[in-house]
Amino acid sequence: MSTDVDIAVIGAGPAGMTAASTAAEAGLSCVLLDEQAEPGGQIYRAIERLAARGERFAEILGEDYARGAAIAQRFRQSGAVCQAGVQVFDLDADGVLGLIADEGARWIRARRVIVAAGAQERPVPVPGWTLPGVMSLGSAQTLLKSAAMVSDVPTVIAGSGPLLYLAATQLIEAGARIEAVLDTMPRERYLAAAAGLPRALMAGGELRKGLAWKRRLKNSGVRYLSNADAIAIAGEGRVTGLRARVGHRDMDFACSLVLLHEGVVPNVQLAMVAGARHDHDGLQACWRPVLDPFGRTTVANILVAGDAGGIGGAELAAAEGELAACAAAYDLGCIGEREFERRTRVPQALVRRKKPLRRFLDTLFRPRDEVLVPPGDDTIVCRCEEVTAGELRRIAALGCTGPNQSKAFSRAGMGPCQGRMCALTISHLLAAAHDRDPAHTGHLRLRPPVKPVTVGQMAGAPDDA
Amino acid sequence: MRMTADVIVIGGGLVGMAIATGLQREGADVLVLDEGDVAHRASRGNFGLVWVQGKGAGMPAYAGWTRRSADLWPGFADRLKQETGIDVGYRKVGGIDIALDEADLDERRGKLAAIAAAAPAETRVDFEILDRNGVRDILPDVGPEVVGGSWTAHDGHVSPLLLLRALVTGFRNDGGRIETEASVERIAKGFSVMTAKGSFLAGRIVLAAGLGSARLAPMVGLSVPVRPQRGQVMITERQAPRLHHPTNWVRQTVEGTIQIGDSHEEAGFDDGVTTPVLRDIARRAVRAFPFLDGVRILRCWGALRVMSPDGCPIYRQSETMPGAFAATCHSGVTLAAAHAGLLAPMIARGTLDPSMEPFSPTRFDTS
Repeated sequence: MSTDVDIAVIGAGPAGMTAASTAAEAGLSCVLLDEQAEPGGQIYRAIERLAARGERFAEILGEDYARGAAIAQRFRQSGAVCQAGVQVFDLDADGVLGLIADEGARWIRARRVIVAAGAQERPVPVPGWTLPGVMSLGSAQTLLKSAAMVSDVPTVIAGSGPLLYLAATQLIEAGARIEAVLDTMPRERYLAAAAGLPRALMAGGELRKGLAWKRRLKNSGVRYLSNADAIAIAGEGRVTGLRARVGHRDMDFACSLVLLHEGVVPNVQLAMVAGARHDHDGLQACWRPVLDPFGRTTVANILVAGDAGGIGGAELAAAEGELAACAAAYDLGCIGEREFERRTRVPQALVRRKKPLRRFLDTLFRPRDEVLVPPGDDTIVCRCEEVTAGELRRIAALGCTGPNQSKAFSRAGMGPCQGRMCALTISHLLAAAHDRDPAHTGHLRLRPPVKPVTVGQMAGAPDDA
Repeated sequence: MRMTADVIVIGGGLVGMAIATGLQREGADVLVLDEGDVAHRASRGNFGLVWVQGKGAGMPAYAGWTRRSADLWPGFADRLKQETGIDVGYRKVGGIDIALDEADLDERRGKLAAIAAAAPAETRVDFEILDRNGVRDILPDVGPEVVGGSWTAHDGHVSPLLLLRALVTGFRNDGGRIETEASVERIAKGFSVMTAKGSFLAGRIVLAAGLGSARLAPMVGLSVPVRPQRGQVMITERQAPRLHHPTNWVRQTVEGTIQIGDSHEEAGFDDGVTTPVLRDIARRAVRAFPFLDGVRILRCWGALRVMSPDGCPIYRQSETMPGAFAATCHSGVTLAAAHAGLLAPMIARGTLDPSMEPFSPTRFDTS
């Protein structure tokens, strides 16, 4: 396999589309890979079909969503190749990518790889979270965006974060039967975050927009309860209700669908599999790759842009995509130093301007301890292998200090999700059990494939992969 | 921090924990010093065979030692279950080394016959060369390219991860101490063991640190010339039980997943995976077991074998610093029963049996 392409970009959200556009416009051959059938990523999912689906729909999703159309249009005109419906199951430090699509597995080599794999919702390991009838709020929003679909069964939404206000309002306006929205953000967080408020307000319009979504939610007529805590989902074989403490009162809600959301974290799997170093971010309570200001990782050929490198939102992601592509173009000798400086000035300024807002939001919406470490011993942490918090605490008591040893002892993290749904919880739980910082506890070492590939497909790898 | 024990075992992997368990059963107060979460840890990446056939070509002592360990394994597994409640999944069901061409099978026949001929009667390993139909009777899933295989009833397999957990659990339940994140920096006479977590004192020490023993051995007047040899492995999604006997590179685990290995690579300390090697393993696996073609791989990894120059174990007490022992091998699962049941009592007595002389590293001296 010779070098197939100058730049491979993984993920067609705002960061990936912008990176691919920038690279192609600079004259590099570029391929953009995405799991979905069409570009847009999670935030701009199905963006190119927006116009065809009517004004009412566009109004529900809002003007921020519509902004994605311009990014997609630039990408389509850039000359970058779009390969949709492709999963990347492996990425190595030499820039070889293992791809899987309907027609089978194949391998390509890129001179530089920009990982723009975006965010994933933080796992919310509360009692009952593995019951059928529990899904993430983000998945429900995805169904709305891509298929204009909402569920008509009694539903409770519980969680916190900017997406809570946005997605809950969108679902209500689209006709979902929401019985209650439980906001789990502790009230004292306003105080903690207050110091950062003035600078956050200057960072742009997002904060005002967020407050507008929250107002819209409160005015929707749906029961909205703040300061909720101790969420537990009830049901035998499927969801029948939810219990929560609201203020100082235990409240029960009958429902057959629960939508959970406690913010998003970087999707780190591919950068980790490639061997890039990751540090623990204490404020966002997640792992993020160690990056230079342009997105270069500790692995020479691999860069990260957008939420995959740390949660920042769509506008920041696009700027980071621009920066990463410029860095790759510069490193490949495609643009000179002066051109590099000229092209990076505007996106760098945007990154600087957005930082205070991020800090404010991270402080405000930092996940509560019970989200990071399930207090009850019966709560499942690893869904694939059904390992409970209690089992992991027993293993910690055996002297096991890190997630790789606890994986060997308990199988937690060994299942098909490759730790996507449990790795963070395991690190935080072991850190708490030994009363130390998660940065010291470390993270699960990820091994390929990050998406399932068959033995037969692996047997078909080319001779020089 | 200064802590004392009768014996300090350096290394909390399968070799170290089996010896520590054996020493504890002899009544010794044992302290195990182990590294942290990220270390080379052959115990975490290995294949899980208790394998006898083919071991010890040119070294009858190793063939006999392996056979004796396999003989001890059923009792060893039972006792672990009694003491810890953990069933390590040991199944002594007999194993097949399958052959994909006739030349390979002929070579196997010669090798196994030579090993048997060199062995004393009490540890001789009876084997059988099977033709295609003979293999198919035992493993109906083999493909048409399989021409035959070699079989012994002594072979079996186990969950290596549950084995380590059982050893750690039993050792701790009986009051054994394990210090993790205590990488050993220096060992001085006495013995005083300096680690990242302070110093520890003991009259006796056992180096069971795998690849780390190469660095530590000279500090106590020993030589443990081991090097890493990488093996890449893949594991599939769970399947209904269908492979009821292990082969030496494809086996169905007690959980139902199918583990497929092996490679033998000189890659230094790089324990990653490479696509060309995984591809070759996958190709061979599909030839041997065609049903694997459509089975999904969950995970691939590399692990580092602890290899001596002749591939056989090293057991030795220091002559210049008596009381310091070294124990290392690349078959920590197979030999776990012997390490706990035979080697540890010798260390507790303070002297290795004369029968262990062939395992001395002096066999590598060139002069």
